[in-house]
Amino acid sequence: MSMHGKFDGLGRFADPSLLIMTSLANGPKHGYAIMTDVAAFSGIRMEPGTLYGALSRLERRGWVRPLAAAERRRPYEITAAGQEVLAEQVTTMQQIVQVARLRTAMAWGA
Amino acid sequence: MRPGPVGRLSRFLVGCHPRRWRERYGEEMLDVLDQHQASTRTVVNLAASALSTHADPAYRTEGLSPSRLRRAALISAAITAPIVLVFGSLLGYAAWQDRWHLSGAGGVSAMAFAPGQRLLVSAVGGVGEDSMETVWDITDPARPRQLSAFQGGQPTALSPDGRIVATVSYGGQPVLWNMANPRRSAKIAVMPAFDGNVLCGEAFSPDGQILATAYTDQIFLWDVASPARPRLLRTLAAPVTPVIQPPPPFSPQDITFSPDGSILASVTGTDQVTVWNVTDPARAARIATLTGPRDFVQAITFSPRGNLLAVVTYHGTVLVFSLADPARPARTATISGIMADALYPDGLLQHPDAPPCPSCGPANYAVAFAPDGRTLTVVVARQEGNVTSAYSTAARDTVFTWNVTSSGALSGVTTATRNGEDSQPTLAPDGRTVADGSPTSNAVYLWTPP
Repeated sequence: MSMHGKFDGLGRFADPSLLIMTSLANGPKHGYAIMTDVAAFSGIRMEPGTLYGALSRLERRGWVRPLAAAERRRPYEITAAGQEVLAEQVTTMQQIVQVARLRTAMAWGA
Repeated sequence: MRPGPVGRLSRFLVGCHPRRWRERYGEEMLDVLDQHQASTRTVVNLAASALSTHADPAYRTEGLSPSRLRRAALISAAITAPIVLVFGSLLGYAAWQDRWHLSGAGGVSAMAFAPGQRLLVSAVGGVGEDSMETVWDITDPARPRQLSAFQGGQPTALSPDGRIVATVSYGGQPVLWNMANPRRSAKIAVMPAFDGNVLCGEAFSPDGQILATAYTDQIFLWDVASPARPRLLRTLAAPVTPVIQPPPPFSPQDITFSPDGSILASVTGTDQVTVWNVTDPARAARIATLTGPRDFVQAITFSPRGNLLAVVTYHGTVLVFSLADPARPARTATISGIMADALYPDGLLQHPDAPPCPSCGPANYAVAFAPDGRTLTVVVARQEGNVTSAYSTAARDTVFTWNVTSSGALSGVTTATRNGEDSQPTLAPDGRTVADGSPTSNAVYLWTPP
């Protein structure tokens, strides 16, 4: 089954910043590489407007840093501050996931 | 590879971002677009991004040059045009649909079939030009098809060829509509109203050349061979009997021509039927007056051979007269008390509001012979609520069918019932199919008793 299935609509609930930082967590990537990576691990197709809007915000907050461009492609890497924020976000999300799992299991009587 | 129109539009939109943004991200974004399969979503996304970065204080540049203004206008147009197009078409479609679904206009108030044609005209709304007619193709009675709609009075008669519909306008004027193309009905003539007279019914002669318009105490015969120029041929003074209170309800079936067009029968004085010789309409004259049980006559119809006339009265008496010799009509059948078998919804014998209020009509009626003349069908529709306040729309149709002997006697009744939400039944030219109009919308239900 395609990853761009019925949950593709969840893209609007997912924070592009979180997706981008997650993508950059295992090494620097340029714009198109981030898009394909995000699509691969989350099934969310990010459009260029969204991608660069989020990248510019992350850059200004100092959570992502641009590297030297190779021709037209400029890779980005996550900063130490960005890694901290990402770790915090993931912890919060883990709590949410845990509660959600418990509550849905209770609701289903599992 | 050369980009398609969507790809080119995406590239154009990258150029629509603020200058400082373009200097920083422009090249990268174009590079991404070179690899990305651009779609409508990409275009909308880039347009939104361009607009939001223009609003972003970090990239907003000072001053507004004409070229920037032009660009901003182009972006706004690119975003709003599809939205306006989509919503515009939706609104247009809704307005068009509204022609058919007049939710606020009340229910079906009148219906008319074209004899021998597969056409039905129904009206919603009150008497007058504010009511809306719907023209239906009833070739398949299970699925009536809407052909057109027009505004202009209640339909009371369709010409036998189905090309003209006669309606009653607000001022009591008969109005003729051209239906040669049912999809584009057009008003062709408005005939004069007569002061102090209520137009109660209209009927076309079988050849479609004459239109009879019936008022409370007069009948007018119009030559409508040229429908755009109706010509008054004859005025008939119908005998007036003392008006009984409360006045009888509007009955749609109170004037009719015999199948050969030589006789006109009309309800006169509310409780009589007068038979007129209209062989020469310009010299039409009364032949005889038929009397019944001094009860409002609600519906009359000729047998296919024209030798019998069936009459139904307000309180449920069915009469058959032989007109073999029109000058000496003879009553051949009298059936009274059918109301005992025509029940209210939920099988009630008594009106749920008993004791009944004066304006609560016992029933509405339709009557027709089968095309072979061997059966007579009477539909009695009883509505649950007060007809005037209409707080309930539940109704029950009871269909009585008798065998008709050659002498005009009735025998062997069969009945069928149907619960619905409608009170004014009309019988199709086949003498079997019952049309019920919805009391709340312009829907028409066609059904045939088993």
